[in-house]
Order: sequence, then structure tokens, then C-alpha cells
Amino acid sequence: MDAMMAAADEQGSAGVFNAAALAGKYLTFSLGTEEYGLPVLKVREIIKVMDITPVPQVPAHVKGVINLRGKVIPVIDLRAKFSLPAQDYTDRTCIVVVDVSMKRDRVMLGVIVDAVSEVLNITAGEIDKTPDFGERVETDYMLGLAKVKNTVKILLDLDSVLRAEGALSGRMF
Amino acid sequence: MEPTGTPDELAILAADPEMLSMFVGEALDHLGTIESVLLQLEGAPADVKLLNDVFRPFHTVKGNAGALGVTSVQELAHCVESLLDLARAGKHLMGPDEFDIVLRAVDLLTIMMQELPDRVATGHSSSVTPRRDALMFAVEAMIAGGSSFTVADAVADADPIETLAAAFTAAPVSGAVVAKAAPNAPPRARSEAQSTVKVDTGKLDNLIDMVGELVIAQSILAADPAFAKSVDERLGRRMAQLKRITSDLQRNAMSMRMVPIRQVFQKMARLVRDLSKQSGKNIELVLQGEETELDRKVVEDINDPLMHMVRNSVDHGIESPERRAASGKPAQATLRLRAAHEGGNIVIEIVDDGAGLDTDRIYAKAVSNGLVAPGTQLAPADIHQMIFQPGFSTAEKVTEISGRGVGMDVVRRNIEALRGRIEIQTTRGQGTAFSIRLPLTLAIVDGILVAVGQERFVIPAFAVRESLRPKPEQIHSVYGQSCLVQIRDRLIPSLHLGDLFGIAGAQHDVTNATVVVLEDNGRATALIVDELIGKQEVVIKTLGSTFEGVRGVAGGAILGDGRVGLILDAGGLAGLMSKGAAHQAA
Repeated sequence: MDAMMAAADEQGSAGVFNAAALAGKYLTFSLGTEEYGLPVLKVREIIKVMDITPVPQVPAHVKGVINLRGKVIPVIDLRAKFSLPAQDYTDRTCIVVVDVSMKRDRVMLGVIVDAVSEVLNITAGEIDKTPDFGERVETDYMLGLAKVKNTVKILLDLDSVLRAEGALSGRMF
Repeated sequence: MEPTGTPDELAILAADPEMLSMFVGEALDHLGTIESVLLQLEGAPADVKLLNDVFRPFHTVKGNAGALGVTSVQELAHCVESLLDLARAGKHLMGPDEFDIVLRAVDLLTIMMQELPDRVATGHSSSVTPRRDALMFAVEAMIAGGSSFTVADAVADADPIETLAAAFTAAPVSGAVVAKAAPNAPPRARSEAQSTVKVDTGKLDNLIDMVGELVIAQSILAADPAFAKSVDERLGRRMAQLKRITSDLQRNAMSMRMVPIRQVFQKMARLVRDLSKQSGKNIELVLQGEETELDRKVVEDINDPLMHMVRNSVDHGIESPERRAASGKPAQATLRLRAAHEGGNIVIEIVDDGAGLDTDRIYAKAVSNGLVAPGTQLAPADIHQMIFQPGFSTAEKVTEISGRGVGMDVVRRNIEALRGRIEIQTTRGQGTAFSIRLPLTLAIVDGILVAVGQERFVIPAFAVRESLRPKPEQIHSVYGQSCLVQIRDRLIPSLHLGDLFGIAGAQHDVTNATVVVLEDNGRATALIVDELIGKQEVVIKTLGSTFEGVRGVAGGAILGDGRVGLILDAGGLAGLMSKGAAHQAA
């Protein structure tokens, strides 16, 4: 499992595309009409949206912190992160708790998504390199695109979502 | 003499990391014991029992090192052991030079043990091989009967203070803590078999975390409306029973993190011994309350500030023997280190009977450093506080011991980082007393719970001076914006927490709000919140590296209803005030 994570990490930084290294199980979820995938080995659990305590001086997509059985973990809203229109939380809105690496240590992070779909086994043949969208779309967070059953799943690299930001704190206005 | 640092001597340890950490931990324990007994022995060189108490652990270290093939350690330990053996047999008298050399050997062995894990990991050779060889040569010469060989010649390259500093900066035994079975064991029982278990600190912290959760879960249950409505007496009794057990459990778990301050005090004993030799001042160190228990983290972090203050006392506080004689004081100065529990806090005092702080000189220095405008009237106590300003040092000459001007401000910062306070009391010509007040534990803080809009925040009780609901005539605004709250004769700048943190639904009519006066570092801030909810002990949780840039927030706590409440940091909030407008805009 480490090999796969390492491969995913590498993919994010090195820029050399290797579809075989990305093949594996992904947890897919939706944001609006779009479908996304996260390497399943990075997912710790999926919980219902609970009361979130806001933290001051952070970017808008950082919703705050929650109590996950005694641990205080940060929560970000992917809709806000990807500049999708905001939407009220529904019954299907979930927090996906993932492991991400930050500054040498691994931390848990809650990610708010519209709805969790399924765990998919994605083969190397189904994965495409992220095309160049030009200036319009930030592609740094994408591991690649997967074409499954006539839909496109955007495979995300959450480590680089955070790496791009440094800490989630102040200073980034 | 075999060359040290050959990978061969590390082969056994490299193969077994657990053995390595046990060996290092145990050896460092023994070396600590040896050092403290040596200092006692120095006062009574003829005490055979003490000599045996030094010899035994030395022998154990040597034996362990031998068994594990660490020849560099084994050889040095063996060499010193031979000297001690002769002393035991009455064939060699332990004089000042002997004590010096044995103490040096202990320092060196400590460094060698501390660098061992690193050496095993990197395969580097020992950094102290030349010093080790020189020291062994000196010991052998001493055994051979040459008292002409002075330690200074033999170990010339080792600056004693540097050596000490190196030995001290490394944490005593990182990674493991001794969970004491008998917290009130008599001080000198350490060499006796005491049943202790070494536990990984990570596991211990986890346990304490979980116990904290249990306490909160219990209070959530007790606060549940269904239970509050219930009139069932039996249920109430069982609930009370659960509460008793959880709080007992919590107290016990907390006590596992506690270690006596003895190890820190003993290092000070060594420091004072070396400093008094070096400075030619005759100083008696009196230790009181060595058995006082503190949080392990506090014990580790208080070491450096204490060392600094002891150096300061010896260097600046205590006068030279001639000056003492001239002012009619006993030639022998007294430095007193005292630790005690006082009202839920730990108080550590450093009291010297030296010259006291020179108020005039501090004032003059503060003026020349631009810390105060010339002609400003200041109370003596305020002037004394100046020594905590960065870059402040009144020592006329920079000595080897202290006076580099990086001292007391760092000391204060370190102590404040432990949520403690430091105070000075000084009388010209009679001495100075520094007292450090620290919380019992770092894991739990006494908090004042306040509400702003829908949010609740915890303010550490030690930072709160008072709280009140202001009358209209107490509020004064400046430029129609920033507002001042007048409390008695004082005008205190206010900070609206709701605005600062951008909280919807906060009370803006100050007369309907509550003002909490925070005090940090002598600076008062009137924090405006909606209302006070009450007092609560909370378990402090870090928000983690993700939020380390957030100012004004010290951490998070899980509140009675399971939500996270942010713990405010008074110092950070005061700092935000100057930039308040910018943050409000954001």
C-alpha cells in the first residue's frame, strides 16, 4: 500500500505520468455534477456532517475543526476549494476523513463532499493524463482522469492540495 | 588503546533497536545517579557507603557496555572504575582532582551514550574520541600515583561550561518515562529496587488523552436533558459513582506524567559546583522540595531557564568573597532552590543572598538602550521588570558565565510558553528572589467559557483578571471606532471578539455585552464577548500544524456537548489588536 501512496506522491510532484502506478481502488464522490476519486488507501472513514467550529484567519474553504472521537481535526469544503457554487448541506453530504502528509508528518483532514458514490477499481487503461486546460483550470491537484462507464472521474491528489497552501492558516489572503 | 567508533562495536546494537534504547536509557539513569552521589561524596570523601553507591552503577554501565560490545564506553568506564576501586580499598585518596576527573568522565560518558543512537543510525564515529583518550590517559596517570597531573592539562580542549551545556541540552531520557509506582517514595531510595515500568511516552499520552475523553463523555452524559429530567434516585447514585471513578482515574492517569523535579535540581547542584570553582566564589546550594512532582514536559523545559537563572545569580547576584567580607556578610554565599505546590500551582524559587538588583543601574541602562524615555518616573518594581526586556544586560563585562544579554527575556519567554509566570523580589544588599509559578499540568487548563453568537470559546483562567458588564459611562470611543473601557482609574483598550473572528450574531451593544479583562505580560486588554457561561476544566488539544499561523488561538478543547471550542491565547489576542483593522477587513 505504501508503494501506491508513494507512487501517488511522486505523480504529484515529478510530473512524469505513469498510469500503471495510479491503477487501484478509488473512493468516488460527487461535487455537483462532477465525479471525483480519492485513493482509497488514504481514506480513513466517512462520517455525517457534524457541527463544525469555525477557526478565524483562514481561507473561506477551511470550514474549521471537528471533534473526531477526541481528536481535533481540520475540515475543508471541496466545493469552496474548487470555486464551485456553495450549496446547503443535505442528508447525503458527508465528511470524508483522509490521511494527508503535511510538513513531514501525516495528519487527518476532513473533506466535505456532496455525496459519496462507491469504491471503484480503476485500471491503468482507464486512466488518462490530465490534459492541459491552459490558465483556466488548476490541474496541480489532479493525479489524472479516469474514464469509467462513460463518465469521467477526476482523480485527486489531496497532499498537493494542501502542499500548495502550506498551512491552512492566515498569511494566505 | 583500540580506536573507537569502529562500526564493529555498534554491530550488536544496530541489530536490535530496542536493546539500544534500553541500554542508553539505563546508562543515562545510572550516570545521573552517579553524578548526584559524587556531589554528596565530595562533601564527605571518607563515606564508604557513598563510594560504593558510585562504584556499583559504574560497574553496571561497564558490564552492560561490555556485554553489548560497545568497547569505547566499556574502556572508559573500566578505567574510572579502577580508580574508584583503589579509593574503595583505601589505596587512593579522593581529592578535588579525583572528583573533577570522575565528573568529567561522567559528562563524557553521558555524551557518548547520547550520541550512540545517532552513531548506530549513521555509522559515524564518536565525536569525543580525542577527549576520551586524553581523559583515560589522565586517569591512568592518576592511578599510577602522579597527582602532579592536573585535570586542566589533560582535558584542555574541553571547555567545562560547553561540556556541561552539551550534556544538559539533550533531553534526559527522550522517548521513555519512568512511571513511578510509589510517588511518595523517600528521596534517596533510587538505588534500592523500586518497582517501576518503562512505558513509551506516546502510549502514556494516548492513555491520558483517552481518559480525558472519558471524563468529557461522562459529563456529556450527566448533562443530558433526559438524565436531568429523571427523578430516579438509583440512576442518580450510579451516575455519581461513575463520576467519582472517572475523576479518580483521571487523577491517576495525570500523575503518571508527573516526575519529581529532583533530576533538574541535581543538575543545578553540579552547575553551582563548577561555577563556584570557576568564579572563586564560595557558594552553598540548598535544595528544598526536590520530591515535588511536575509534568514531565515542564521538567524538561524548565531546565534551560533554571540553568540560566542559576548562572545569573552566581555571576551577577552573588558578590566576590572580598565584597561580601566588606559588607559584613558570611564568606560563604547561599543559593537556595526551592520547589513546592502552592494553590494548584508549582512554585520554583531561586533565592540568593547576594547584592540584589541595582535599580539605578538598570534604570540608566534602560534609558541608554532606549527602553524608557529619560526622566520617566518608574516604580522600582517596574524598573526590575526591565531585565526581562530583549537585549538587556547590565553586566559591565561579558563573562564566560553570563552577560551576553540574551538571558532573561528568553527565560521569561520559555516560562510563559509553559503558561507560567516569573516574579522578582529584591532587596539591595540582601539578595534577590526569583519565583516561577507554573501550572501543575500542561494537559488541562482551568477555563472560563464565554459565548459569542453561536460560538463558544475557552479563556484560560490565569489570563483573566476580572469580568464585568460595563455601564455606558465606562465606554469611551476614539475616532468613533476603537473603544476604551474605563475600569476604576484605568483606561483599557478593548477588542471585540465577534468582529475580530468574524462571528455572525455577536452582541454589538457593549453595554449589553460582557467585558473580560485579560492580562498578558503586564498589558491589559478588554475582550468584549456576549456573555460568560461558566468555569470548566478542559483538556487542551493542539489544532496541529495545519493551523499554526492562526494568532490568538492556543488550541482546541472538547466541550460538554462534544463540540470543539477554541481556547484563546491572551498574548496573541493583544498582538492582534495592533493589526485588528486589517483582520476585520478580511
